[in-house]
Amino acid sequence: MSGLVAWWDDPASGPENMAADEVLAAEAAATGRPLVRFYGWSEPTVSLGGFQRLAEARASAAIAGLPLVRRPSGGGAILHGGDLTYAAAVPRGHPWGGDPQSLYDAFHAALETVLRDFGVAATRHPGRPRDAGDEHRLLCFDRRARGDLIVASAAAGADGHKILGSAQRRLHAAVLQHGSLLLATPPTVPSPARHPGLLDLVVAASSWDLRELATAWLQEVAARAGGALEAGPDRFAGSRKRVVAERACRFRDEAWLERR
Amino acid sequence: MAALKFAKTHEWIRLEDDGLATVGISAYAVEALTDLVFMQLPEVGRQVKAGESIGEIESVKAVSDFYAPVSGQVVAVNGVLPNELETLGKDPYGAGWLVKLRPSDTGELAPLLDTTAYDALVKSQPH
Repeated sequence: MSGLVAWWDDPASGPENMAADEVLAAEAAATGRPLVRFYGWSEPTVSLGGFQRLAEARASAAIAGLPLVRRPSGGGAILHGGDLTYAAAVPRGHPWGGDPQSLYDAFHAALETVLRDFGVAATRHPGRPRDAGDEHRLLCFDRRARGDLIVASAAAGADGHKILGSAQRRLHAAVLQHGSLLLATPPTVPSPARHPGLLDLVVAASSWDLRELATAWLQEVAARAGGALEAGPDRFAGSRKRVVAERACRFRDEAWLERR
Repeated sequence: MAALKFAKTHEWIRLEDDGLATVGISAYAVEALTDLVFMQLPEVGRQVKAGESIGEIESVKAVSDFYAPVSGQVVAVNGVLPNELETLGKDPYGAGWLVKLRPSDTGELAPLLDTTAYDALVKSQPH
């Protein structure tokens, strides 16, 4: 059975969210099924990519004073609080568990299709050449990688406004993909870290039911996986409190945050 | 010098004449990861078990582990590689080696894949 099992989780701290995502990956490996959870954050939080330099993040005025958590996945720093965050996990034997781009494209192309149905012309970025130095930019939404979902605007030039970025942790038995759909940056965030989100760029989006949009997105992902969308029982993290709490210790540990 | 053998997780290993084993990652794995940006190698002296993660590689969008194909002690790492990651793509079975291990049991090499079996595995991988 393929398709996709999905959960909507309550807001939680950075360490708890990262721990729950690792549990999600372990369950994808154990069950052999693609799993996904959407979740919120108990306070605006910056998640750093797996090997981003902590000193660089701490020196950035754009995100000064915000709590930091280091993801197990790669990519750039994301300021959470005005986004829709997801974690997806697929077993390594799944058709999306091989080439890294396939899982990336599965979620991004699906949202591209659904947004088109909502009347929004979002496109996938072709990626910038390596010498553009994207990996040296601190913030994910300042980077452009192949498949990033962008909304064109004259003000943003050829690279457009990025509204969806994702990054992966490729484990022995599963691939964990983190992604962030930018809705609107909280007004308290300093301007260098502000990027226009879907609600800023699309006037009609303010009247949308975002849960409906996200459900349509996941239904499209599930269809691409050759199955249907299935609602997971209960809350994912809420019904696995003990194991999530145990794993969260690692993400609270300064040694993890300071690994680079 | 013995022939290459491969783990299903895409590391290669070669038993050298001096009894040490050189370990790297296959050309297929390097190509699949695309643009590499960072690598973390294990500490020399570390004891590792077969299948244990011994380091991590970051590409533009993903962090991946690489694993010890056999148990043993890490006796050397390719220290220049993290600053010259392009070497992994140019010469994955030569200058792009990652670590040298002193195997604790060379019998652990037996179940690893030979080149023919590994090529078949790669062809069966989802794309």
